[in-house]
Amino acid sequence: MKQLLLVALVALVPGTVCAQGPGATKLAGRIPPEAVPAIDSLIAAAVAESLPTEPLVQKALEGSAKGIPADRLVNGVRRGLVQLREARVLVGRALPGQPQPEGHVAAVAAALARGLPPAIAERMLTMATDEPPAPALHAAADLVAHRFNPDSAADLLVAAHAMGLHGERLLDVAVAADQELQRGGGRTPADALARVRAMLPNVPTPKVAVTPHGKTGS
Amino acid sequence: MTDRLDDAIELLKTTPAMSVESRVMAEVRRISGPTPRRRVFTWPRIATVGLALAAGLAAILLIPRTPDRLTPGESEGIAQFVGHFPGARSVEVVGSFNNWSRGLLHLRDENHDGIWHAAAVLPAGQHEYMFVVDGERWVTDPLAERFVDDGFGAGRENSVLIVRPAGQR
Amino acid sequence: MAHRDVGPPGGVNEQVNESLTDVEVVARVLGGDGEAFGILIRRYEPGLLRFATRMLGSADAAADAVAESLVRAYRHLGQCRDPGHLRSWLYRITGNRCRSHLARRHMSDVPLSEVPATALADHADSWTALERSEQVALVERALAKLPTEKREAFVLKHVEGLSYEEMAEVTGARIPTLKMRVHRAREALVVALGALV
Repeated sequence: MKQLLLVALVALVPGTVCAQGPGATKLAGRIPPEAVPAIDSLIAAAVAESLPTEPLVQKALEGSAKGIPADRLVNGVRRGLVQLREARVLVGRALPGQPQPEGHVAAVAAALARGLPPAIAERMLTMATDEPPAPALHAAADLVAHRFNPDSAADLLVAAHAMGLHGERLLDVAVAADQELQRGGGRTPADALARVRAMLPNVPTPKVAVTPHGKTGS
Repeated sequence: MTDRLDDAIELLKTTPAMSVESRVMAEVRRISGPTPRRRVFTWPRIATVGLALAAGLAAILLIPRTPDRLTPGESEGIAQFVGHFPGARSVEVVGSFNNWSRGLLHLRDENHDGIWHAAAVLPAGQHEYMFVVDGERWVTDPLAERFVDDGFGAGRENSVLIVRPAGQR
Repeated sequence: MAHRDVGPPGGVNEQVNESLTDVEVVARVLGGDGEAFGILIRRYEPGLLRFATRMLGSADAAADAVAESLVRAYRHLGQCRDPGHLRSWLYRITGNRCRSHLARRHMSDVPLSEVPATALADHADSWTALERSEQVALVERALAKLPTEKREAFVLKHVEGLSYEEMAEVTGARIPTLKMRVHRAREALVVALGALV
């Protein structure tokens, strides 16, 4: 009788990790039991808010694989949910009145996690409203991570896009800027960006052989 | 009022009564391994290793390592992982592309020279990962060009890989 | 949270180590002596912690940011192009880290000191009559109101004592821009401090 009641309760409680969703299948048996209710609740919140759940599932799997204690694991997933919410606000501002592709929200959240300023993320979204935003966002995040002025970095990417460099080619623009800066000789970040701007649209594609991640990774 | 600003500046110069030395050194020792003095070939040292070794290592990195049997689809690409872990017994890659599962993508050190490598076909897009050395030591790939805090509060960083579709090159 | 370390007993050796230049210490670390990195930590963590605390408004967050920054510096020490400018490089990494932390939370969430806001607002005494902790709280409140870039410039210049050339290396901004930020930050702080008491 108790078992029947338990099954009934599990079936009734929405968002139970063990009960539903592709994320639930991935998480089953992989996260510490004491973290299950909280992770469940966070994923359920994402579902209710029409946010992508895969980033949260991945974060839970990651934390579990790394042996992170349950409370910090939950905090990590919670932080991911907050980033997704922030990302959705940005996408809404950049694409007002349009449906928000799930990929856009996840890509913006990933870029924000890398430290890309929200205002710059918004500029990248408005630059290419009908393209997948991830390459532009990552190119901007690369430049910011290398301490280029965020606004100047965004200006360069917007200029490159206007000259026909789209998608992964924007990543090449970021690589070129960093290479110019690495050349040293007292070159400032502003100098490096100016040099790359001068070479647009003929930004070199990074040589295959020197990329440790192989021919098609970068 | 500028006197008050000067007072404010002096107050702001108070050094917080805390230290992160033990926490940072614990991580430094973890990264360095058990015998840092004998660990000649750690990645941060690559820049200072003798010319002959640097040239040899560069030659290894420049040799194309196209895996014959990996054929990426239109929205996939090949990622190659290289790590320098002399003395390691095992090295694997664990990341978002394998749902952070252990035991799925092992690197190999066929020449027993401490250079471990593997290749995999991955979906195009962003992936996060770390190396796991000897089954227990999680190491950020120092050759990665992008990093992101893993968000679990211990200062660990995942390496970020962006795989481009094979058809684009 | 870390506790303050007593540090390794070393006598004369410790004194010699602490007198090594940054270039010498970096060379040792890159040569395989990871323990030598402790010299750099002891040398720079007070300033970096102070800087991060003023940027983030929280000692705990500052400790996290500085620890992350120092670990990152260790990992990428071989990429420090000029060990003679190590100080700027460390502040650059830490500033970057602080910006990442701030980007992940809203400006209005920058926590203030422990003194309750009501205690500050109701205090009618003059500045000099305030307890030191109350003065610190007021100053932190005023600093927290500054936009990130101005706060950073003000702290680097007046609290950390960097030159404008060093600040340009740390922030990537041009010197005239930095001078303007410092100037505007001073103006804003004078007004804010005057309004609070």
